[in-house]
Amino acid sequence: MDQNLDQIKNNYLTKINSVTTDSELEQIRIAISGRNGLINDLFSKIKDIAPENKKQYGADLNQLKIELEQKLKEKNISPLNQKEISTRQDGFKNKNVYSLPKIGHLHPISQTERQLNEIFKKLGFSIYNSPEIVTDEFNFERLNVPKDHPARDMQDSIYIKEPEYLLRTQTSTIEAYLLAQKTKELPLRAAFAGSTFRNEKVNRSNHFVFHQYQAVVIDKNVTMKDLIGTMDLMFKTLYGPDVVVRYDCKYYPEVEPGVGPNMQCFNCHGKGCPLCKYAGWIEMGGAGMIHPKVLEMAGIDPKIWSGFAFGMGLDRWTMAQKNIKDIRTLMGGNLAYKPNEL
Amino acid sequence: MKLIYSHLQKFLPDLKVEPQQLRDDLTMIGHFTNFFEEIDSEIVFDLDIKVNRGDCLGYYGLARDLSIFYNIELISPKNLKLSPNNYNLPITITTDNVKRVMAIKISELKNTDSPDWLKTFIKLHGNKPINTIVDLTNYIMFLYGIPNHAFDIAKSGDQLIWEMNPKYKEFISLDGSKLELNKDVLMINNPDKALSLSFWGGEACSIELNSTDIIIELAIYNPTTVRQNSRQLKSITEAATRLEKELDTEIIPTAFNHLIDLILQNCGGQISSNIFDYYPNPINLPEIEFDSKKPSLVSGIEIPTNFSTDVLTRLGCLVKDKFITPPSIRKDITIEADLIEEVVRFWGYKKIPTNQPISPKEIDDITPKEIYLIDQLKDLLIGLGYDEILSWPIVSTPVDPKSVITTQNSINTEVIYLRQSLIPSLKQQLDQYHRFKLDNSQFFEIGKIFSQEGDKYIEKNALGLYCPDSNKLLADLKQLKLDVNIVNQNFAEIIIDNLDKPKNYTPKILNQSAYELNSQLIILDANLTLNFEENPIDLIKKYSQMIDSTILWEIVITDIYHDSKNNKYRYTFRVSYFNTDDKTAKKIHLRVFNLN
Repeated sequence: MDQNLDQIKNNYLTKINSVTTDSELEQIRIAISGRNGLINDLFSKIKDIAPENKKQYGADLNQLKIELEQKLKEKNISPLNQKEISTRQDGFKNKNVYSLPKIGHLHPISQTERQLNEIFKKLGFSIYNSPEIVTDEFNFERLNVPKDHPARDMQDSIYIKEPEYLLRTQTSTIEAYLLAQKTKELPLRAAFAGSTFRNEKVNRSNHFVFHQYQAVVIDKNVTMKDLIGTMDLMFKTLYGPDVVVRYDCKYYPEVEPGVGPNMQCFNCHGKGCPLCKYAGWIEMGGAGMIHPKVLEMAGIDPKIWSGFAFGMGLDRWTMAQKNIKDIRTLMGGNLAYKPNEL
Repeated sequence: MKLIYSHLQKFLPDLKVEPQQLRDDLTMIGHFTNFFEEIDSEIVFDLDIKVNRGDCLGYYGLARDLSIFYNIELISPKNLKLSPNNYNLPITITTDNVKRVMAIKISELKNTDSPDWLKTFIKLHGNKPINTIVDLTNYIMFLYGIPNHAFDIAKSGDQLIWEMNPKYKEFISLDGSKLELNKDVLMINNPDKALSLSFWGGEACSIELNSTDIIIELAIYNPTTVRQNSRQLKSITEAATRLEKELDTEIIPTAFNHLIDLILQNCGGQISSNIFDYYPNPINLPEIEFDSKKPSLVSGIEIPTNFSTDVLTRLGCLVKDKFITPPSIRKDITIEADLIEEVVRFWGYKKIPTNQPISPKEIDDITPKEIYLIDQLKDLLIGLGYDEILSWPIVSTPVDPKSVITTQNSINTEVIYLRQSLIPSLKQQLDQYHRFKLDNSQFFEIGKIFSQEGDKYIEKNALGLYCPDSNKLLADLKQLKLDVNIVNQNFAEIIIDNLDKPKNYTPKILNQSAYELNSQLIILDANLTLNFEENPIDLIKKYSQMIDSTILWEIVITDIYHDSKNNKYRYTFRVSYFNTDDKTAKKIHLRVFNLN
């Protein structure tokens, strides 16, 4: 074979060997066998070859074409001059299908978690977690909800072994573990997302699995101003600078004073509509200064240390952001991603 | 709880704010008010009362709060005097679950249908008017938050006994409901029959229009007992909602006298017994040490100390230097933090600035390293084209019945097991995607799987993957350096807790689209013939731009045919539409590919 043709062939064989994706392979196929590709280009140069060499050049060229096309075929690509010329475009499509590269997607809840984690990491927060099967002590007692406290009605628990073991009903449970495990590592700043479980009928609006996000600070001289300012920063990051949030007095056993952040309804702008149950405001979670009893139960002296905690549900916000109408979609097969779209 | 504006004004005659303002102010001071509406010329508010504010399950408690907030006069209930008879009611109380009972006998009553104002009041609170006596008992409950009860002596006699259920198997309530009882139920009986539960009157002693002689009682019980009874009997009445909270035993005489006075006014009759007042353990109010600087220190804003003193005084607290004794009606105030909250809420949360978040601070990172690992794995998998899914952690079928954890009270009788593997959930997801004609999805889930060893509950972090191309799955796992158990060639699962964990990892912040599919994709084909060869990817991009992205799911080219005789190229497109109907999809499809 002509030395130049031999070199060209070896170059292309190397290229074919080195491709890792079908997309690259397709580009090489077009470069070799396409209308303006290598083979046609080389054939078009026959006219420039000396007459005595034309025959050998033609034979070498045919040999090159056969070898390259054979190599392409081995890579599962059909030669251009056959009837079926389709090829696989990527590693997972059915044979003979071209498509744009498949893009992977993060679940919307995970996207929201990361967005929030980023805010809090900048403020010096760690990210934390804890078990999902928890004891009554960490789910209730350590959060100032003793047995038979009416607040337990707010959380219809799913028990593993009543009354001792249950699935955590709130991310405040992670806070209880955090305080117990890190008592000696004060000050503390931690944020955490987690699945929480309630014995609720599953329908379009309710689910037995909720996703919550919580942030906790234990330090000296922590104030409600720190709490409300931090929450507001979070809401503005999530909803934009024009979001209107008010902070009213609320009762949660694990905090005092308790704070309830309410966002002005984005649908009716405070006038009242079915979405906000005509209140004009949507409850966004719960917050407050950590109750002295909660600190004491964790072995933290409330005369020295104080702190705040706030939690919010992620599901409804995520649904609004992604235009999801049915809460079941978040945990089921109806949630889908366009294969090629970010 | 419902609140009628005009009735609230009976306690607060100077209350003149617009209903919308009142709604917002009630919410700001802790009584979340959903909405108000005008019904029968009355403005009615709908409130969620906090579980620690039993006092606010009555108009009087709410009026007390509002009088402080608006700094207006509170008209306290009249201290009515009754003229009792010398007859002592033969009442017996055999349980320590009774905190206080007041009772009295009234005779020669003429019961009637309720007057219009009372009917309206009862209706606006969501109840059905019965007759004057019954409706007045409910009226007083709504006014003071203290449930009470009337017994028809002709049916019950006057030998009432407060006792834990001595023998009764069932109880028929005022509305005819038949309840099965256990021995832990607090009841009011006579020696022969069951008359009433602590939180629900019984049919056996109901007041009717012809009732003439009655016993009226107001009582407060051990709230835990009431709560347990009502939950166990699955009967949450208006009375139970109140009696399960800490209520003020000291306000009973006021409410009691008011009720008796109203009955006498509306039904005539006369008191025919002495006042029975059982109150074995009068309350001992706490004395709380209070630092008047604390509201400022806790809130982070300056709150004058004289404001604190003023608010606490107007709340009814006894202020003696730095020691505060709260009023008996405020059972929720027991420690200094409670007093601080009172001062701050009346000063106004809205005065706390919202633009000063906590300052950044460098603190040791206590993030568990598996969180970094999970974030890293997610990013790697997304980079390989996998989508993240989430599935139910409670499932209907165990993988290994010997080690499965069973929930005791799951959402239904079928879905009761904590999942032991992610694979069944991935398979369910795949089935669902197939139903939607999403045949080439590849996805993963990272989540907890659970098992039980003896009495020990074990939860592990697992990664499950599905890929329709088993070769790609193997290659991807190899690239991720994961030694994984492959199931059915296309599924894989690995426990990730034991993998090497990064010391730190910064996850990608993504804002990606996701869609709620409600029906199958509409899939339509089209052939496009060109005189020259075109890069199919470029063609896909070109035609993707010609279809509205709100209905275009994906375009692929399934075939390219070269007609060598005529040197033409035929491209077969397959277009998936969503979020539209067949007719619209076809119309758009024909237009885009010139198929008309």
